[in-house]
Amino acid sequence: MTAVDLFVQQLINGLSLGAMYSLLALGFTLVYGIMELINFSHFNVFMVGCMIAMLTLQAMGLSGQSVILSGAPLVLTLLAGFGVSMVLCGFIGVGIERFLLRPLRDVKGPAAMITTIGVSYVLFNLVLLTLGSDSKNFPNPLPPVVFPIGGAVLRLREVLIWITAAVMMFALNYFTRYTKLGKAMRATAQDPEAARMMGVEVDRVIMISFFIGSALAGASGMIFGLYYNLAKVDIGFAAGLRAFTAAVLGGIGNVPGAMLGGVLIGLIEAMSAQALGSAWSDVVIFSLLVLVLVFRPAGLLGRLAPNKS
Amino acid sequence: MPGEGPGVEPETRPSADTLLEFRDVNTYYGDMHALKDVNYTIGRGEIVSLLGGNACGKSTTMKTIMGVVRPTTGTVTFDGVAIEKLPTSERVRRGIVPVLEARRLFPRMTIYENLEMGAYTRKRGAEFDADLDRVYSLFPRVKERQGQLAGTLSGGEQQMVAIGRALMAHPRLICMDEPSMGLSPLYVEQVFDIIQEINRQGTTIFMVEQNANMALSIAHRAYVLQTGQVVLSGTADELRENPMIREAYLGEMQA
Amino acid sequence: MKALDAMFTSIAVRPFAGMAPERRRALGLLVLAAVLLAFPYIHDNDGDIDSAANAMSYAVLALGLNIVVGFAGLLDLGYAAFFAIGAYYYGIFSSFQVMPPWSGFWDPFAMLGLVEKINRGGPDLVHFTLSFWLALPTAAVVTAFFGILFGAPTLRLRGDYLAIVTLGFGEIVPIVARNVDSVTNGAAGLNGIQAPKLFGHSFGVSATPYYYVGLALVALLIFVSLRLRDSRIGRAWMAIREDATAASAMGINLTRFKLMAFAIGAAFAGMTGVYFVAKLQTATPEMFNFAVSSMLLVMVVLGGMGSVWGVVLGAVLLQLLQTWFLPELTGWVHQLGAALGAPLLQQIDFVNSTQLIFGVILVVMMLFRRDGLIPATRKMPALSYAAQHAEVRRGGFVNLDRIPRWSPAPGNALEVRGVTVKFGGLVALNAVDLTVPAGGVVAVIGPNGSGKSTLFNVITGLVEANAGSIKFEGAELLGLAPHQVLERGVARTFQNIRLFPNLNVLENVLIGQHARLRSGPFASVLHTPGNRAEEAAATGWAMDIIGLFGNRLMPRIAQTVSGLSYANRRRVEIARALASRPKILLLDEPTAGMNPAETLELAEQIKSLHELGLTILLIEHKLDVVTRLADRVVVLDHGDKIAEGRPDEVRRNEEVLTAYLGRAARAALMEEDHAR
Repeated sequence: MTAVDLFVQQLINGLSLGAMYSLLALGFTLVYGIMELINFSHFNVFMVGCMIAMLTLQAMGLSGQSVILSGAPLVLTLLAGFGVSMVLCGFIGVGIERFLLRPLRDVKGPAAMITTIGVSYVLFNLVLLTLGSDSKNFPNPLPPVVFPIGGAVLRLREVLIWITAAVMMFALNYFTRYTKLGKAMRATAQDPEAARMMGVEVDRVIMISFFIGSALAGASGMIFGLYYNLAKVDIGFAAGLRAFTAAVLGGIGNVPGAMLGGVLIGLIEAMSAQALGSAWSDVVIFSLLVLVLVFRPAGLLGRLAPNKS
Repeated sequence: MPGEGPGVEPETRPSADTLLEFRDVNTYYGDMHALKDVNYTIGRGEIVSLLGGNACGKSTTMKTIMGVVRPTTGTVTFDGVAIEKLPTSERVRRGIVPVLEARRLFPRMTIYENLEMGAYTRKRGAEFDADLDRVYSLFPRVKERQGQLAGTLSGGEQQMVAIGRALMAHPRLICMDEPSMGLSPLYVEQVFDIIQEINRQGTTIFMVEQNANMALSIAHRAYVLQTGQVVLSGTADELRENPMIREAYLGEMQA
Repeated sequence: MKALDAMFTSIAVRPFAGMAPERRRALGLLVLAAVLLAFPYIHDNDGDIDSAANAMSYAVLALGLNIVVGFAGLLDLGYAAFFAIGAYYYGIFSSFQVMPPWSGFWDPFAMLGLVEKINRGGPDLVHFTLSFWLALPTAAVVTAFFGILFGAPTLRLRGDYLAIVTLGFGEIVPIVARNVDSVTNGAAGLNGIQAPKLFGHSFGVSATPYYYVGLALVALLIFVSLRLRDSRIGRAWMAIREDATAASAMGINLTRFKLMAFAIGAAFAGMTGVYFVAKLQTATPEMFNFAVSSMLLVMVVLGGMGSVWGVVLGAVLLQLLQTWFLPELTGWVHQLGAALGAPLLQQIDFVNSTQLIFGVILVVMMLFRRDGLIPATRKMPALSYAAQHAEVRRGGFVNLDRIPRWSPAPGNALEVRGVTVKFGGLVALNAVDLTVPAGGVVAVIGPNGSGKSTLFNVITGLVEANAGSIKFEGAELLGLAPHQVLERGVARTFQNIRLFPNLNVLENVLIGQHARLRSGPFASVLHTPGNRAEEAAATGWAMDIIGLFGNRLMPRIAQTVSGLSYANRRRVEIARALASRPKILLLDEPTAGMNPAETLELAEQIKSLHELGLTILLIEHKLDVVTRLADRVVVLDHGDKIAEGRPDEVRRNEEVLTAYLGRAARAALMEEDHAR
């Protein structure tokens, strides 16, 4: 492979990672935008989503790379994988919000954030105790279609990941920009008290934000499985930290910002892995997070600060 | 209780003309006894003003009307129905609509979207369009700028949008929290003229205001609140002549 | 829970009920110490003694984390990083991992016993032989340095961002340890770390000597924690935790005290790291990952954030849970399963679910008992309004003879020239000029939103000016941090009262003196004669200030301020500002929320301060207060100064009449003129 080929290949990889991080970052950004809460449970809702997707595909008779599908069965299988993991994750998110975070809504200080750390722990250990700590083979029903670009290769799975992520992001963007509920969500993020005074049921909006954010975490869990062909109990931490960095980089609370940030982080990870070795990518990503927070805390596209003036 | 001021009027009897009524309301805001045995009566078509210094309970009154805090004891009725257990959204649906202190527009939404948020509890349709036309005719400049982000407007323009946003909810009672705050004198006059105009068109106005003179110049009646208690109430003309209010709130100074 | 508490109290305390509380406490500590000292002889089981020694190390870590999280309110999720740094520091310098070639450079170190020359075939090499006893204090210094290094970039971040940044640091340190093989031996970990020696005897593999070292460390750090908590340092940390803005306005250097918390917390962890690897004689990156940081967080949360005894209890309980209760419980369930013939029960292993239980503990504590098992602040019941009601006093402050007179230098105390403040597009202050003569009282009036509070904020360094200059006694204030402004003698109160709600009246007033006190961490821990004299004088001065308000505050000095009435909270805030020995006092609506009688009382009290020579700048809405107090009045409207002069002049100013006083006041004035 030439240097250009390597670059193109890492560009392809980076965009796929970026798609996954974008979807995950949206969950952070939606919740932070409204509640100013870093939701640590999101890290492991993502992991649970990956596991649910794997179990769903296995339940449909797929295991490992042994079954290759095409045409309608492939589409249906993938839809089922995405659908089940998204819906179940969505409900997990709603449950966390309704029963554990809502009672703490008016409590000052770190109580809510500590609760999400605890929830994250519980999710992690529930999966650890039931499914074990070994790396699992994530079913891959995709036919091995490959499009060579020079020396680099573009696989079908990449194309599929990009399309899926793009569709979801466009849908979310449309939802927040043009629907009544979406506008209520934006209004609540900008000024919850004023939104409430307009008659917006803020509790419901928060619940819906958790549902959407967690469902997107489920989708990115499925994408993780398709991309790496594995599922493992400890994948939540690294992916979550990257996605959070993406949300901050784009400007936390800002929906298009999270998408942009995710793609950038994916590219940075791919390129730095090429340049420094993947062992250091956590260090690179994290240093970036610190630099952004210190020098540009509003992120690239600006943060939605509540209007206090 | 210390500070029981002179001249506490017997409360006005509620009647069919009463739109909003507070009866013996006690509200605790945090650990603070913010409203103490408060009674208000606001008649249909009136402009009623609530006067008082900072931290006297004006904001708590607003929050109690809107359902952000619930009274510990006492009743709040709107149009003859007890509302103190209703959520804010239901109150808005019934026509109790606030214009918030410091305007509180959604800064990263367009002016049009802000107006839409005002109509959040209502269905789209002919009525929505009619109200939009009404807002645009009251505030031609708002129409010109409907695509602009609200955060980019000046304070006075924001107040126009804030009032427009309230009108989009098709209010029966508008609760205004310090409409003059932070506005230049020119805008203050304009805002008060518009409030009067809206009232003439049939909407009842309850207004918290610290600019006592401006408030009394357009209000029919007023209440004076002090450390959570109503210490004085009456018609605007009566209150203007009351030595206590002249001393403390109208800038009349002791020699 | 309450019933349980009561039961414990009745069982444990009743036989000693006749003793004074302090003696009862001392007796309890003595018994506890005796039991702990005798434990290895009472219970001669090496495994259990070893677990107890581990519990000691967790207790020390929890104590250190408690300084950062509990005292200073900085949520650090990567605390294990400092544990790792201390561990690797000792591990590397007391093992055969790093062996540079020998040269003359090493001779002095060899003489100190820090290195020795060895030969393993080939050239001579350096073998580091850092003694455990030397490593303990030096590790504290080294990790304190890293604490400052990691803390520095997080200083300006909000609490929740701080959490995620520290989480990242906590991740990076093990990654570095895993990947810098030459120094750390990578994932395999360091081996052959020396066991400590005492008088030539190696500790070897028996747990007992480690147990005693651990016990000594815990005792030492409990002592240090308690001393710090009750000192100027601890008060500053708690003030930052409660309200950082108010803390800086009361003279606390946020940068210095946050970094101090990071450094001292890290030093605790560094010492534990040395202890821990000396005991295990190995160090691997996995020993210091997020699981450790979060376990420590669980200990602190369980015991009670900010509670010294609480976090020790939390550490002990979690260690008992892991090493005794869960294995025992598993055994019981297995026996039960065998008895019932249920194979499912026999497969359950609770030991694996330790981490799950940690998560559950975090959630349950946050939902139901946020202050932990032993809360740091014993909540006193809030006083009713009636209980706080006191007769209105007239005639100014009482006990004024205890307060020294101010003797201001003649001239202008405060000179504000052309100050402009913009927030985005909004002009909050537009080229405002204002002068406060020394010993004078100037009032600023104007409608809400006219820029009055912004004026106070720009003077006290809380917001930056876009243009202009603010001189106090001839020296520029603009560009100074809030705590520096207070050090110059400018103290303020806030319109919306910003006390430290969970601290009591005396503590709040003591924090006001922060900038006038000098004791550092060492003096505070050692209780040097200078420190003791300073604390005694500080308490005396605080009592003198509180005494000014007579029976309003004096009976409530031990009451947490969140339980005070609104008017009393305002008084505490004024007392806190006065405690800083200001040359000028900035009062932002001191009488807001007070009834006329209370307002009059406070106005007379402020006047009595003025009569003692104190310079005062006052924001006030109640014009009778303004007339009573002020020599000059400045009127702001919409960020512009529209008038200035004596109260009666301002009242007649055309612009003021239109903008602020309004039509009716003008009419009243015209009538008045007519009558003449």
